[in-house]
Amino acid sequence: MTALDQTGSVEQAAREALFEVHDPETDLNLVDLGLIYRLTYRPETRKLEVLMTLTTPACPAGGMIVDGVQRRLALLPEVDDVAVEVTFDPRWTPEHISTDGRVFLGW
Amino acid sequence: MTQAPAPSTQAAALGPTPFARYAPSFKLIQAHFGLGLLGLVTFSAMLALRAGEIAGFFFQPLLLGLVHLCVLGWLMPIALGAMHQLVPVVFETPVRSERLAWSAFALYAVSMPIFITGMWTFALGWILPVAATGTATAIWLYVANLVATLARSRRHSLTGLYVKVALGWLLLAVTLGALLAWNLYRPYLPLFHIALLRAHAHAAGLGFFGLLIMGVAYRLLEMFLLSHGASERAGRVALVATNLALLALIPTLAFQLGTPALALAAAAAAVGVASFVWQALAIFRRRTRRRVDVAWGHTAGALVYLVLAAAVGAGLALGPAREPWLDRLHLAYGLLALVGFAGSIVVGQLYKIVPFLVWLHRFAPYVGLKRVPSAAELLGERPKQVQFALMHAGLIALIVGVVVDAAALRVAGAIAFVASSLLFVGNLGVVMARRP
Repeated sequence: MTALDQTGSVEQAAREALFEVHDPETDLNLVDLGLIYRLTYRPETRKLEVLMTLTTPACPAGGMIVDGVQRRLALLPEVDDVAVEVTFDPRWTPEHISTDGRVFLGW
Repeated sequence: MTQAPAPSTQAAALGPTPFARYAPSFKLIQAHFGLGLLGLVTFSAMLALRAGEIAGFFFQPLLLGLVHLCVLGWLMPIALGAMHQLVPVVFETPVRSERLAWSAFALYAVSMPIFITGMWTFALGWILPVAATGTATAIWLYVANLVATLARSRRHSLTGLYVKVALGWLLLAVTLGALLAWNLYRPYLPLFHIALLRAHAHAAGLGFFGLLIMGVAYRLLEMFLLSHGASERAGRVALVATNLALLALIPTLAFQLGTPALALAAAAAAVGVASFVWQALAIFRRRTRRRVDVAWGHTAGALVYLVLAAAVGAGLALGPAREPWLDRLHLAYGLLALVGFAGSIVVGQLYKIVPFLVWLHRFAPYVGLKRVPSAAELLGERPKQVQFALMHAGLIALIVGVVVDAAALRVAGAIAFVASSLLFVGNLGVVMARRP
């Protein structure tokens, strides 16, 4: 497997893993909720970088959600280090929710 | 899945969120909620035991005891606990002194039951005003602590504005209450006691609980319904109109200024209530989470009780001064406002807040490591639905029983209400007992 293949495969595995981390109130996973902006794998350092957001800066569960992302991704065998960065630019809006997510929420 | 937006390259790292940074200890909140739930069970039990006698003019030991048990025993500890949880998160600053909060709690937990016993019996002599002063002192300490907390914050929000103004009305209500308790023991006030009592009740009911519930409801509705982008204009109108109503109402009641001033207050209060309901519906319409649960049923019920209370209150303000049946409407007004509006919203929001806090403190550490239940899954819907039906059927029977003066209906309603209270406490106990 080339380094490029490996990068894509780990990023895909990371995205799949984040389907298992749920928002505590809606119970929707973070990927379908649209909170994950970018996943970047650095094969040379085996580091996974996550750029994500929260539904609001004052989200009371925000710290726990970020910790959950970190814990879940650290379980991936190809990953030695996880760096999670939270941004509010752009701000999350309901338009970020996936089609599956909308069905789950009863839209 | 929709395409994720391109993130800014200048994204800033976020430290711990406001909740993690500023929330007080879980035990402080648990202590307040525990005291409030004990107050609910005691209030509803006493209501069931004496429901047949709930009639006549409101100034009598039984009714004053019941009202203070409802307000100080049940609603106030829950409101204080919720404020200590919410204010640090909304204003992004920790509680100024958690030790002071515990001291105020201890003083409150000791003096409040003695004061209520005094109101209930009218037979404690000097102990009644001393206990009232103890209760008032505890609340003054709470307010001082919360004001000192707010003074350190640079955050401005509509909810914050409501909380600040509500604390001002609370100070007035509690001070008036302590003065009235001493006046009951040894009359010294130059004004008519019952007129001041009416002013005290409205400063507490509409000024503190009304404004606090309105302001906090906006925040909780947005948070738990994941609502996004609703305009706050109606909420601002509600704040201004309700305060204008109070500014007209309190001196009018205290100094017995007459119907024209009461009409002005009633009109402003009607605008305030209508704007609040409009704001709540605007947030509800913009919700991301479309499916709603029982907690929102309680909130919707609370809005209906509020509108009915406002209508009855306006009728009492503008109607005839003295008719025998007016006593029954006064009692219905109090039940609609306190138990119907404030009580329903407290019950509904505790169904959201308690599971959420239990989830945060007990289940969150396992997120990412294993499947953890959502906050809503910590308690099934069925027990909540049964509690909802019992509470509102009981409350409606009780209110109708008061209005038509049917003792059997009042007793049946109160029995259903006490059953709903026990089930509510049991439901929250199930949530509190959940472990990962």
